[in-house]
Formats: sequence, C-alpha cells, structure tokens
Amino acid sequence: MDRRSMLSRVFKPSPYSQGAAKFTNAVLRTQDNKEVRFYDDLIKGKQCVINLMYANCHGACPLVTTILKRTYRDLKDRMGKDLFIYSISVKPQDDTPAALKHYAEMRNADLPGWYFLTGDSYDIETIRFRLFNMGHVGMDLDFAMHSGTFRIINDATNYWGHAQAFASQQNIMQRIAWADPYKSPAEWDVYARNLQVAIDKDVKKYGYRRGF
Amino acid sequence: MPKKKAKNRPGIKQKTEGTISRRNVLKIGAAAGAATVLAPNIITTRKAFAAADPVPIPLAQCTAAVRSPAHVPFVDELPIMFPAIDHPLSPAPTETANTGAGEWPRVAHQRWAQFTPAHVTTELEARPGLHTFHSNYGPSYVWGFNGVYPAPTVLNRYGKPTIVRFRNSTPPSGDNTFGHPEITIHLHNGHHGSESDGFAGDFFPSGRWKDNLYPNCYAGLDTFGGNGDTREKMGTFWFHDHRAEKTLNNNVMGLNGMFIVYDETDPGHEHPSAGSLRLPGYYGVTDIPLILTEKRFCGLDGQGRNEMVNAAGGDKWIVNGAIQPRMTVRNRKYRFRILSTGPTTAQWDLRLRGPSGDIETMTVVATDANFLEHPVPVDAGANAGNSNSVLGTTIQVPGAIRVNVAERYDVIIDFSKYNPGDQLYLTDARIMNVNQTATQPLNIPPPGFLTNIDIGNVIMRFDVVNRETWFPADTPAIPETLCTFPPICTPDTTFTWNFTRDPAGTLPARLFRINGKVFDANVPQHCILKGTCEEWLVNNNTPNADGPTNWAHPVHIHFEEFRILKRFAIVGGVFQEVAVTPLSRGRKDVTKVEPGEAALIRMNFRDYIGRYLIHCHNMGHEDAFMMVAWHIVPDAAAKAVCDSQIVQANKEFEAKLRGEEVA
Repeated sequence: MDRRSMLSRVFKPSPYSQGAAKFTNAVLRTQDNKEVRFYDDLIKGKQCVINLMYANCHGACPLVTTILKRTYRDLKDRMGKDLFIYSISVKPQDDTPAALKHYAEMRNADLPGWYFLTGDSYDIETIRFRLFNMGHVGMDLDFAMHSGTFRIINDATNYWGHAQAFASQQNIMQRIAWADPYKSPAEWDVYARNLQVAIDKDVKKYGYRRGF
Repeated sequence: MPKKKAKNRPGIKQKTEGTISRRNVLKIGAAAGAATVLAPNIITTRKAFAAADPVPIPLAQCTAAVRSPAHVPFVDELPIMFPAIDHPLSPAPTETANTGAGEWPRVAHQRWAQFTPAHVTTELEARPGLHTFHSNYGPSYVWGFNGVYPAPTVLNRYGKPTIVRFRNSTPPSGDNTFGHPEITIHLHNGHHGSESDGFAGDFFPSGRWKDNLYPNCYAGLDTFGGNGDTREKMGTFWFHDHRAEKTLNNNVMGLNGMFIVYDETDPGHEHPSAGSLRLPGYYGVTDIPLILTEKRFCGLDGQGRNEMVNAAGGDKWIVNGAIQPRMTVRNRKYRFRILSTGPTTAQWDLRLRGPSGDIETMTVVATDANFLEHPVPVDAGANAGNSNSVLGTTIQVPGAIRVNVAERYDVIIDFSKYNPGDQLYLTDARIMNVNQTATQPLNIPPPGFLTNIDIGNVIMRFDVVNRETWFPADTPAIPETLCTFPPICTPDTTFTWNFTRDPAGTLPARLFRINGKVFDANVPQHCILKGTCEEWLVNNNTPNADGPTNWAHPVHIHFEEFRILKRFAIVGGVFQEVAVTPLSRGRKDVTKVEPGEAALIRMNFRDYIGRYLIHCHNMGHEDAFMMVAWHIVPDAAAKAVCDSQIVQANKEFEAKLRGEEVA
C-alpha cells in the first residue's frame, strides 16, 4: 500500500490521544523511499506494532524480525488494513531506504503494511524516547535497550501496550489483542460466550483453568 | 480562592475541634473525600456507565504542568472512607458465572457449598467521579469504586463469607485519559479461589460484572477443618485493579480501597469481649485507615478543574485522597492502618514528630495484614534499632517505619502523652512541593511553623484535644502478646525467583523479567501441588544484572502469607546473610528486595487451586513485565501437564533465541 491508498482509509484517533505532540510528526522514509509523517500517516487512529532495529545488527534485530514475520503471518488478514508493523532504524545515519529495502528483502519481510523506517537521527531519537522511555536515564540513553521490546499502540483507543519478542507467540498475539479496538456490547457477548466455552473445556481436560 | 469554587463543593466547610461525633467523622469523610459524590451511592449503585457521568478534560491541556499548584497546609480535615454496606444483590450470586445476566466468564466458585449458606453481599462499581484533593483546588476527574476515591472501606468478619460484585461502569470507549476500561480486582492478600483473585489476565470490559467470593476463612481449611487455622488471622487487606499492562494506570485513576476483616481478637469495637485484644477499634473513630499515594496536578483550567497529571509519581503526598490534611485526635490511643498504594518507587519513611519536632514513638502491632507476636515500638531513641528503613545493615532514616508499595503497617499512637492544643506531625523523609512555583523554588512554611521540620516533609498534622465525655474512653495498655504465629512449615520443595533487569546489549533484552520470563496469562513459571509447602528464594542479586544499578523491587506473592527466614544483602562488597529486621519477622505478603538483596521465605499452598501471581508491586515494573503466574494444581497428573507446559514454552523461547521460525 502506498501512502495515498493508506490515507484513503478513515482512521479516527481517540479524542484523548496526544497526537503529534506526543508521537511527533517527523518526516520519515520507508524502505520504498516514500515520505511519511510519523503521526499523521502511521499512527493516527491506527493499531500498530513498533520495534527498533538497524540493518547491520547481528544481535537481536534479525531474531526479532523473524518473530515479527511469524506475527505478520498470524495476523495477515488485518495487516495493512487496520494493523501495521513499523520497524524503526535507530542507526538512521547508516540505514538509507535502500539499505532497509535490502534488509527487508533478505528476510522476506518486505510486505504490505510493514514499514521499515529511517529519517533524521534527531527525530528518530525523539520518537524512540517518546515511545520507549522508561523514565530512567540509564535505560533511556542506551538505544540498544529496547531491541527486544515491541511497543503496541492503538491510537483509536489511546492504548499503549507492549510485548516481548521472546515471549511465547500466544503471549504476543494476546498482547496485540489486548490493544484491539473496543468491542461493541454484541461483540463482547460473542467473545464472552466463546471464553466460557474455552474455560469449561480447560477445566474438563486439566481439572483447573490453566489459560486464556 | 475564587468564591464560585467554594459553591461548587458543598460540604467542604466542616466543623472542626470539639464537634466531631462518630457520625460527623463519617460524614466528613464522605464530604471531603468525595466532594460531589453523595453517600447514597454506596447502596444504590447505577448499573452502567451513563452519558451524564463526568468526563475528563483532555490530557493535552495539562501536559505542561511541571509543579502542582500551591496549597495551604492543614486546611482540610482528614477524609475517612465510609464503609461499604452489605446489601442484597440482584440477580443473586451463582456458583457458575451468570453470563446471561452480564457476569464475566469464570470457573465455578471453589468451596461454594461450604461458604455460601451464610454469606453477605455488596457491590462496588468502578465508575468515573470528581474528587477534590484540597480545598484550594477544583475537582479532579477520577475513577473510583462507586465513583469515590479512595473506595468505600469493606468491613468484614471471619466466619462471614462475602461476595463482592465488582461492576465495571468505566467509560466503555473514547474518553479514557489514562485508565483503561477493563478491570480485574485483586484482594490483597486474600486466601480464596483463583477465580476470585483478580488474576491479571482475567479482566472484563465496561458493562460487565464479576462476583468475587471472599470466604473470610483462615488458611488451613483442609488440615484444620471448620474455618481453618485461627493463627492464620489477617486484618488489613486492600483491593485494587490488577489489569495486565494497566495496573498503574487504573490505580492512578483511583481504583483501590481498604478491606478490613475482624475476628474475636480484633472485633472492631473496644468493649471487653472474649478473646479481644482491646486495641483502638472503632472504624473511622479510633481505628483510622491511612491510604498513602503521591500525585501531580494541572493548574486550574477553564472549567474549574485541577486534573491529575496522568503519570506515575507526583509532587503532592496524598493521604486518604487529601493533601496535607489535619486530624483532630483525642488524648487517647488510636490505631492507624497505613497502606501505601505507591504507585511506583515511592517508599514512605514515616516518622511521628512531636509538638517540638522531636521524633516520637509509634508502636507497630501488625505488618501487612498480620499481628506481630509482640508490639514493636519504633522511635529514634531506645527503639531506634526497630526501624525497618534498612539498606544492608544500615538504618537510613532513624525512627522511621518504611512503608513500601502495597505494604500495610498497623500502628498505635498514644496521644494521651500530649496536652490539648499540642500538634504532632506525620512526616516522610522526602520533600513534597507545598507552595513552590517557577519563581519560588522553595517551600515557605506557614507562619509559626516548627523550624526543625521542612514543611514539605509533612504528610498530615494531628491536633490533640481533650477527650469529650461522649467520645470512647482510652483502651487498656497494648497487650504484650498479640498472637501466636502458626509454625513455619517444612518445605516439600525449594524454588528460586530471580528478579532481573537486563544490562544493555544482552539477549533477549527484555528489561524487567522474573526467571527470564514476562507475564503470560497462559503459561505458568512454576507448578505447585495443592497442600504443600515451599521454600522460595526471592533473589534480586541476580547474575545478569548490571551490579549496583539493579533496581529495588517490592515483591508481592498472592494467596497465603509467608515468613522470611533469612535476608541477604551486599555489605562491604560481600553478599552475605544479614539480620531480618524486627518488622519483617512476622507474617508478610510483600518483601522489598533492594539491589543485591535476597530473601528466603516459606509459604503454604493450601485449600484452593488455580492461577496466582508473583510480581514486583512497583506498578510500573509489574506493567512492564515483572510479573509471572504460578499454578496450584489438584493432583500429580495435573502437575505433570502443568510442568510440561513450562517445558514447551521454554522450548519455544530457546527456538526464538536461535532465530528459528516457530511453526
């Protein structure tokens, strides 16, 4: 999906989202060298999973990209429609759009709805701090600190969640679902009915409720 | 203060010295503690969020607030939360979830047949409200139980099971500033089924409700029969939201309150009665809850509001929802049930300062919810060694009782030692912002204030008056012996919980973890056979932590109380056993492990099965993954399945670390 078709959908932000004031509206570039504004084009009214990486990384980044690929596959129907993945380079000075394109293609991750982003290093440092800061200097000054963490945002509900890449896939899926748009009462009815069935099955099988 | 503001807050002008009857105390609590919320709500709760409910003022209007607006100290009377009244529920509670009527799915209540014949019921509805934290302030948007912050206090009795219907009427969408409209309520630290424990993954949405069955039994039902082992008595509980990822948010919004359970030794009155310790015991009159937290506020906005800045921490110390209140006390003994609701790094080093500013004696009778065997006086003189403000082996704040997040300390203060007209102060070691502004970086004390205390240290003031004839006479001396501890159990097995914060550059780079794992509602990290005892090492001296910058964690374990056998700390660079402080030798459910520290504890797992939690109670840390589940399983077969689930999850973890694409 290019920028124009992305914008053609109506994404309504929560009235209590702090918008560009929080996320910044920094101009970033995708792996296809398309210009995007961080809040207006990527965050506003959308649900997304955000991670930090850089192309020449031999530690967590490729592993995390693999995990995100699995996540993408599991949520393929929603990807690029109401759910997006943003992999933001924390070494933007090295990572040109072409370098990110190469990284994505090498890993079969150049997929619709998944953007590898680079830009001005000051802007990206600001975004990193706004999204991933723990309020502690030692952690926040170290750009490698958050390489295993996903930030899960749903700007339509002003939800800020997170997941750990190396947790179970079920856990990652659950945490993304925890940030899903609010359900209507009728949708909650269906959800609750299914949940009770699942709980009862669990109890019957194991003697106690283990999950969900 | 503009005139129209006072008009907006009926009941804020209270009568003061000499006119406070019990009824008035409760009324003042209701008025000052809830400003615009009327007492009848405690019984006739509405059934859903309504459009007429207050809405928050969008956050963007107060992000610039660096310092909270100034306040005048000791203007407001200490609010006291009114009790939640038992009342019938419609529809009546059922053993299995009444999903047709809106109850959230759960397993059937355990021990339903045993505990429901004689139960009482009440309802607490989480919904928006307006609360005025200080009479210099306009109201603030909060979420409270029955719209009130702090929540009404639940007063219960052992042997009288209770079902509390927690109803979620928070705004279902759109106008949540900081809270998240899905809740799960944990009673800290109740002994009850997992389905009533407020497990972090069991949250339910607005418009739904859930019945929590609190059996008000003593632990040890299976071995002791009847209502359990009376030596397992607990008293000062609290309840709060435990929603995974959003516990901090929803507690900052106001979803917490106190829950007191009485029994023969601690009957809730002061008359001589069989077995009674005769401690100060009239709730709200001589037995006073003190709920501590810290908050930050925005400046007065166009709608007359002072909204809370939605973040952890703050620059105003809050007690029972008020900033620097005063409390009129008679010259007799009082019991204070002190609770810290955090939310994050706040540790209260509480000291009682006398009329001349000297450090005076407070006597601790209970730690967390449990009586100590013998009262422990704390002061800076003869009893200086009893302070628990200890790092390694060094007392950091002489004379202080250190209250970490979620800990409770029941303290007796004897005001009969003072003269009418005397004023005493409860202080913290940290300094809050009283009247600092951008141009006035220091606090200015009120005229005539003591010169040896910083006004910013003061949490509240006690004003001593002569006891009137109608006010309850003083209670006898505090008994030398308060209880007999149950024996420390013999462990069937041992286990270690490592609390870690990954240093930079390590894999899997997960920041806060317990045993390398993050909170997963579906995968336990430990499986325990029902009816067994375990010895656990709660370890914050972890091999992959980056030394001195590892962080402090107030660790909470659900379900039963534990005993601390040994404490370890790094002293002079050497990790070694250090003394367990006198205030940590009793039964506990929270233990803070400082960087490089560890605690060896023992705990029983009796009577119930299901999913429970161990977590850091710094709500920022628990939301940022530092929480894991453990399961109590009914039999060996279930334990084998439970254990295999851990093995499976670990395999996936290892495969991910190898970069394999997991199917």
